[in-house]
Amino acid sequence: MPCPAARGAGGQTHAKESCMTDHSHPSSKAVATVATDRTFWGRLAAWGPYHTLMRLATASPRRQFLILAAFPVLWVLTQHLGPMLQMLRVSLLDAYPVAPGVEQHFTLDNYARFFGDSIFWMPFFRTLAFAAVFTFCTLIITYPVAYFLARHVSRKNQMLFLLLLLIPFWVGEIVRTYAIMILLGNTGAVNLVLKWVGLIDRPIPFMYTSFSMGVGIVYLTALYMLLPLYSALEKLPQSMNEAAADLGAGAWTRFWRVSLPLTIEGISSGCTLVFLISTGFYATPVLLGGPSTTVFAETIAGFFHVAGDEWPTGAAFATIMFMAALVITATFQKLMNALRKGESK
Amino acid sequence: MSKLIYNRRRFLGTAAATGAALASPFYLRRAAAQSGGEVNIWTYNDFVPAAFKEQFEAETGIKVNIRLVDDQGKQFNLLAAEQPIPTVDIMTVAGHRFLQFIDSDLLAPLDTDRLTNWGNINPTFSESDWSTINGNKWGAPILSGMEVLSYNTEVVSEEEAQTWDTLFSDKYSGQTAYIIQDMMSIIMLKMGYDGNMVEYMDDPDKAAQIVEEAKQFLIEKKPLVRKYYEGGAEFQQMMVNQDIVLGHSWNGPAAALINDGFPLAMSIPREGSYGFVYTYNIANNAPNADNAYTFLDAILASPEIGAAMTKASGFISTYKDASQYLSDLEKKSTSFPEEQLANLQFFRAEANEMKYGLVDPAVEAIKAA
Amino acid sequence: MNDRPELFRGNRIFLSCIYWAFVLYVFVPLILMILMGFKDSKFIGFPIRSWTLDWYKGVFDNTEVLSTFGYSIAIAVLSTLISVIVGTWIAVLLEGRKFLGRSVMFGMTVLPALVPGIISAIAFRIYARYLGIEPGMGAIVWAHAVHNVPFVVLVVMARLSTLPKSQIEAARDLGADPLVSFIRITLPYLVPAILGASIFCLLLSFDDFVRSFFLGGYEPTLPVLIFAKLRSGMSPEINAIATVALILTAAIGIWAERFTRRMNKES
Repeated sequence: MPCPAARGAGGQTHAKESCMTDHSHPSSKAVATVATDRTFWGRLAAWGPYHTLMRLATASPRRQFLILAAFPVLWVLTQHLGPMLQMLRVSLLDAYPVAPGVEQHFTLDNYARFFGDSIFWMPFFRTLAFAAVFTFCTLIITYPVAYFLARHVSRKNQMLFLLLLLIPFWVGEIVRTYAIMILLGNTGAVNLVLKWVGLIDRPIPFMYTSFSMGVGIVYLTALYMLLPLYSALEKLPQSMNEAAADLGAGAWTRFWRVSLPLTIEGISSGCTLVFLISTGFYATPVLLGGPSTTVFAETIAGFFHVAGDEWPTGAAFATIMFMAALVITATFQKLMNALRKGESK
Repeated sequence: MSKLIYNRRRFLGTAAATGAALASPFYLRRAAAQSGGEVNIWTYNDFVPAAFKEQFEAETGIKVNIRLVDDQGKQFNLLAAEQPIPTVDIMTVAGHRFLQFIDSDLLAPLDTDRLTNWGNINPTFSESDWSTINGNKWGAPILSGMEVLSYNTEVVSEEEAQTWDTLFSDKYSGQTAYIIQDMMSIIMLKMGYDGNMVEYMDDPDKAAQIVEEAKQFLIEKKPLVRKYYEGGAEFQQMMVNQDIVLGHSWNGPAAALINDGFPLAMSIPREGSYGFVYTYNIANNAPNADNAYTFLDAILASPEIGAAMTKASGFISTYKDASQYLSDLEKKSTSFPEEQLANLQFFRAEANEMKYGLVDPAVEAIKAA
Repeated sequence: MNDRPELFRGNRIFLSCIYWAFVLYVFVPLILMILMGFKDSKFIGFPIRSWTLDWYKGVFDNTEVLSTFGYSIAIAVLSTLISVIVGTWIAVLLEGRKFLGRSVMFGMTVLPALVPGIISAIAFRIYARYLGIEPGMGAIVWAHAVHNVPFVVLVVMARLSTLPKSQIEAARDLGADPLVSFIRITLPYLVPAILGASIFCLLLSFDDFVRSFFLGGYEPTLPVLIFAKLRSGMSPEINAIATVALILTAAIGIWAERFTRRMNKES
């Protein structure tokens, strides 16, 4: 193993000294004098104890992997799985929480309740459908915005333009949702403007429909789509588009055959994020939706809020929702991966 | 211009004070609690008047920690998750929700002998049928609410507001809103049944049939409603935005709109309606039970405190003579004609398990329909 | 940056229209919010008959609101630090490596993001008691950190998948050990993703109500305070609080950006 570490880290110019110090196993003091003009990492890499430690840690790929994996596995098991297992356990109990001394029994009744009663299916499938539709809408709306930012704004101004869009997202969900009510209500800003222009005499009832709900949800999710799309588009070399244009491709073809396939990975991670977040939305659908837009999160929350003593049913329903979201996300990711592979061939 | 400068200077001063506040973390400030110990309260915004809190802390040396909550369900969930070692001494539960808390062993019975000011509460509330369960009192009544029909007086006439039917009339199609859970009880009452379902405790089939009937009614009327809402703030916003012109609501949120000068009025329709009472309750295994009693006795001491709670919340005070401390508008927004009050009865909890076992699925079915 | 503007001019105009329309969409509600803070009434909404500065003054007179804001910021920053470190670590483990149980590991990693808020809050609350974590700031930071890890992992993995393998290989050929090559090559490449993920985490934490409520003690975070105030009506006071919070966060953000830029210049 000839002069490891230090060369790559310290840069070519220091390669010689690194090798020397490395071979002679000097005291740390000697290293310090030799390495004064070296970067921190170069010095660290050449420092005896660190070096030994690294060699021990990376002796075999297996050991290296174990060291890398130990902490994440521990974290995920204790922090991610722990609360979920707790929820799973609650979903299988006949009563929870119980007063001390009361016996609990395991049961599948809570799950049976969902499959046994069709009134719960409607909000369930509605939630999945809404989440999918709103994810798609968010994608359609934010893609051109991200494209504009990444491709048509000078690098100097990009950050500024992006930060401008981020500002509204620092206001809490509830306050923004009420602002949308002020925007879309019968005496809201939009109706006032339309009336003033003379387009309408009577206010248009925008509120408490799928439309108002969509406006509210896209407002909340746009950011989570925008950032992944921007970072994917930003990496796209301009030369590719130009080459395509030279070959006679029109704007649409260029987009369809060049930009889109190369940003699949950004689209995929953006859609996944937005889909996951929108299945869990509670406050916005409750506040902006109408009588016929109940989502599953409301149903679940109902078991915790109104009834109070139906945690197990709520937990069971949550488990069902979450399994469904997991399956859909996994399928979507597989599909996107396949697309990406297909394109790169 | 000079005003602006003054404001800016004050802003800078405040900013500096803020910096100091930010620099000393909460746990340090908490640790500096006074000698008299502390009392921990879960309650709604403005249910403990700030002036009273200050005075109480100064006089007794007991530090009052208030945790603001926004609904009953969350208090229940939180307390259930904390038992058997709760961090809370006093909670705020509505009378008809007691039973659920009592059944789960979350509340301690209230020893009214330890409250010298118990007599300051209007007996209508302190000695009512809902207030005694298993031979014990469970809470000190502070504010009273009711289910009312609220209407925009510029659109809906007083005459029309005397019946719940107006809420379901074609005339106001798409301009109404209500809370379904509460509406189920009212519809049962309107159909001539006992909305508390206490009468049918021995006859579950009859109960199921009644709930089914109410459910079918609300499903049939679903095309007419603009919104099934959940919180008072939503109702107020719909009124202000004129998305609705009448609706079922609690009197508190409606009174707040009236006091703000909005053209709104309330009625208890002739078919009747239900009332409920917010009470302060002592948690089972409360860490500072003695301080909790001291606090309760102090807050019941004067009708002026009751009036302050009414001013802040819009709900009606349970204290004797509290209304003499209210302005005329506040009096108007918190009182009803005698003949309307005669139609009012309180929610009762005895049959809740059966009732909500039937009503909750019905509500889901209405939403899904 | 574009040598041949004439080629893309049509696109450019079209896209910039969309961009500014989008800006309008996200800013109009914001402007309404700020405006309503000046309404002389206890309820927001049109028409505005008279105006007042009292709501905004009230925010500065009330130290509770400002200290609550500081509390929320502290929680957001601490939890984000934890999420970013843990999330990046997990992403490095998962991306581009094939090992037994990788998909299981991935599934478990995204778990917290999939659980509905109320459920996760209660699950965290029960689990916190099981672990002996007292409700309060520590518990909120912990819950936010755990909940936000999946978002970091997803964002960082997306960026990591585009890291040219050749760079790492070159470093290795030159003898860099894995840790040094990670810090010198992978990490700098990940910086944009990590910054983006941090923004997610800060936002998610700063805006979280339900976990903060269940895991908090007697000090409210900003959303908890707003929820409690909302119960007595959506008053202009809440809009004033939100506006002031927005301005303060923007100020902190700009300061942080300047600060990092200066640090970068110095080093």
